[in-house]
Amino acid sequence: MNEELIIGIDLGTTNSLVGVVDSGFPIILADSEGDRLIPSAVSYRPDGSILTGREAMRFRQIDPERTITSVKRFIGRPFSQLGPEELSASDYPLSSTPGDRIKIPLDEDSSKTPVEVSAEILSQLRQVAAAALETEVSRAVITVPAYFSNSQREATKKAAEAAGLTVERILNEPTAAALAYGLDKLEENQTVAVYDLGGGTFDLSVLQMREGLFEVISTAGDTQLGGDDIDRAVAGHLQRRLEISNLTREESATILTRAREVKEALSDRDTHTVRLPFFREDRSFEIELTRADLESVMAPIIERTHSICRRAFAEAENKGAYTLDHLILVGGSTRIPLVRERISAWFEIEPDLSQHPDEAVALGAAIQAGILCGRVRGVVLVDVTPLSLGIETFGGLMNVIIPRNSTIPAKAGELFTNAVANQESIAIRVLQGEREMSRDNWLLGEIEIPFRPGAKGSARVGVQFAIDQNGILEVLTRNTETGEDHVLEIRDTAVDVEDAKVERMVSESIDHAFDDMNERIWTEARFKSEELLPAVDSALELVGDRLSIDDLESIRTSASDVKRILESGLKDAPDLKAANLKLDEATQTLAALLVEAAFEQES
Amino acid sequence: MKNYFATLNLPESLSLETEAVDLAWRSATLEAHPDAADAEAGTEHSADLNLARASLSDPVQRLEHWLDLRTSEASSDRSIQPELMDLFTEIHSKLEAADSVISRLQQSSTALAKALLTKEAIAAQLGVQNMMRQIQLLKGQITDQFPEYEIQGDLDDFVEAYRNLGQLKFLKKWEQQCQTRLLSLLEC
Repeated sequence: MNEELIIGIDLGTTNSLVGVVDSGFPIILADSEGDRLIPSAVSYRPDGSILTGREAMRFRQIDPERTITSVKRFIGRPFSQLGPEELSASDYPLSSTPGDRIKIPLDEDSSKTPVEVSAEILSQLRQVAAAALETEVSRAVITVPAYFSNSQREATKKAAEAAGLTVERILNEPTAAALAYGLDKLEENQTVAVYDLGGGTFDLSVLQMREGLFEVISTAGDTQLGGDDIDRAVAGHLQRRLEISNLTREESATILTRAREVKEALSDRDTHTVRLPFFREDRSFEIELTRADLESVMAPIIERTHSICRRAFAEAENKGAYTLDHLILVGGSTRIPLVRERISAWFEIEPDLSQHPDEAVALGAAIQAGILCGRVRGVVLVDVTPLSLGIETFGGLMNVIIPRNSTIPAKAGELFTNAVANQESIAIRVLQGEREMSRDNWLLGEIEIPFRPGAKGSARVGVQFAIDQNGILEVLTRNTETGEDHVLEIRDTAVDVEDAKVERMVSESIDHAFDDMNERIWTEARFKSEELLPAVDSALELVGDRLSIDDLESIRTSASDVKRILESGLKDAPDLKAANLKLDEATQTLAALLVEAAFEQES
Repeated sequence: MKNYFATLNLPESLSLETEAVDLAWRSATLEAHPDAADAEAGTEHSADLNLARASLSDPVQRLEHWLDLRTSEASSDRSIQPELMDLFTEIHSKLEAADSVISRLQQSSTALAKALLTKEAIAAQLGVQNMMRQIQLLKGQITDQFPEYEIQGDLDDFVEAYRNLGQLKFLKKWEQQCQTRLLSLLEC
């Protein structure tokens, strides 16, 4: 065992890597077969054995329900946060524990949590490192998306501990990539942005590099936006074009695999043929897709990264960083040509492709590990907290205590007093997020602040909220007489609810959900139709004359399809959903023309 | 109370430039950050440095801290001065207009429905931006008076400083509200 050694781990949605600093340089370690990119997959075999990485991936199509991929999407999140779309899009079933945590049922009597699955992946990475370095390792720096909340960070840390690793630092992925980019440029002063579009998450961070100090100025992101979403959108498109519906889990898994191939193939070529031989009762399907097809499906997803970037840039400007020297791309999904094209168009800057999209984050993790164990000198990293931290106040409002993009470690104090005489304590709900109403933000938990007995307003307790270098929250009370600090436990409120009661609530809502699933999808789809149809009329009136005959024709046909299904009285939910999507796609040009016209009028 | 000027080794001046604060913070951080080799001080000290920079970079917080270091009793004037009242009314209507577009944009699930709102969104954005400019102008007028407070330095004269601190706090709050709307408009 090498007690001093710290490894750097990039725990990715799709793939993971492990690295270390060797003679001053960060390197990625390879497994026994020479692979550096290790799939973040775990397959639980019925005989009790657990397969990870590439071995697990072999079961992805044959046994999707027991082969867990993209588990990072679920780590540290409450079950109630998952939308119906997300639940139905998962390759494997998901359910809730009584405490509103996500669990993955494997069979009648066993299930796994996202933390347990992640621990298996981390354990494999630890073994890869140990084999490559020929020594046991026990300490690690682990990267997470910059936009991960306190709960997601804590859960990642727990997974590492379960894998026998002491977490020396939770490091933000884009920050890690910036370290990899800047290690050989320590003498230069630059402002850079890192655009990190991975398998499941998106982050954008703006950093200033000056004399060895890497300082994050602002960060913004979406922890549910990545290559996976593109795969799913392409799979949906394939389904519509091939007119296949009511898929089994195995069939979905197959289509998703084909969708992924489409995305990869069309990054290099202009056309790609999808073949599904003997897909259903000896029926085979075949269809040719063009790059233009793929791009129209991907465009709305990529567009979502644009507004996130603008937000981060706006906040960087507020802090005095007005110009960017470089915009660095990392994450597997930045290989997509459309991503690169759009970035150049949006920001009028040629993206910097010097970093390996899959390896930069792991290299950065290795560098930070090197800094912490003294193998790298002259570099200091200072990050920010991505989300505002606050407490719930009167009326269910969120009162911000530490604003987002505050440099960490950060701290802030609040004074609490007793509202009535001899009040024993007060319970405070701690939140993270940017929304005004506390219910729209992440609930981190509840703290109980004890009071000494006394008249109303006489008990005063100072509470310190501190966010450490890992972005993890600690709440302390300080005894003013003794100067002693006392750590307050942040209680998971969900677990407090009586288990049996919640179990019943959950099962009731699931039963209920199956009953009126069709009704719900129909209602959702109907709302969308009712939004689209009048919008089409108004839009055509405004800019219809600018459309090509073909576009106009396809909009008219799609719109009358929607109307027909809506008025048929059959309540065919999947049909209406498909017709909406077609109309939505058909009106993309019309929407763009409207926006153009609005800007023309303005200037 | 901690003296943030002392934490960053800066003179107790109200007219500090942000660059000077940043520079002082950087050199202190490079020395004291727990990750830096040979650093003795812990996380607590780093957090203090960060807090000191955040306070001193913002003119409103800087003035408040400066006054806190000099007096113990007085607190800032919590009423809106008449000259700000008209602006307040105008900001309020612009924010409401922005909120209305934002909520309709958020409810729209299709690109077409959103596109139909573009014109209104641009108008709301320009309205809020105009307010921001006026706020910044007024803030500038007040911060320009900072050197006078330093010269006077007599307790009675802090009355004026406190009155303006109150106005600055309103302006800052409105500026933040405008910023939030602009960010939301960007995101829709």
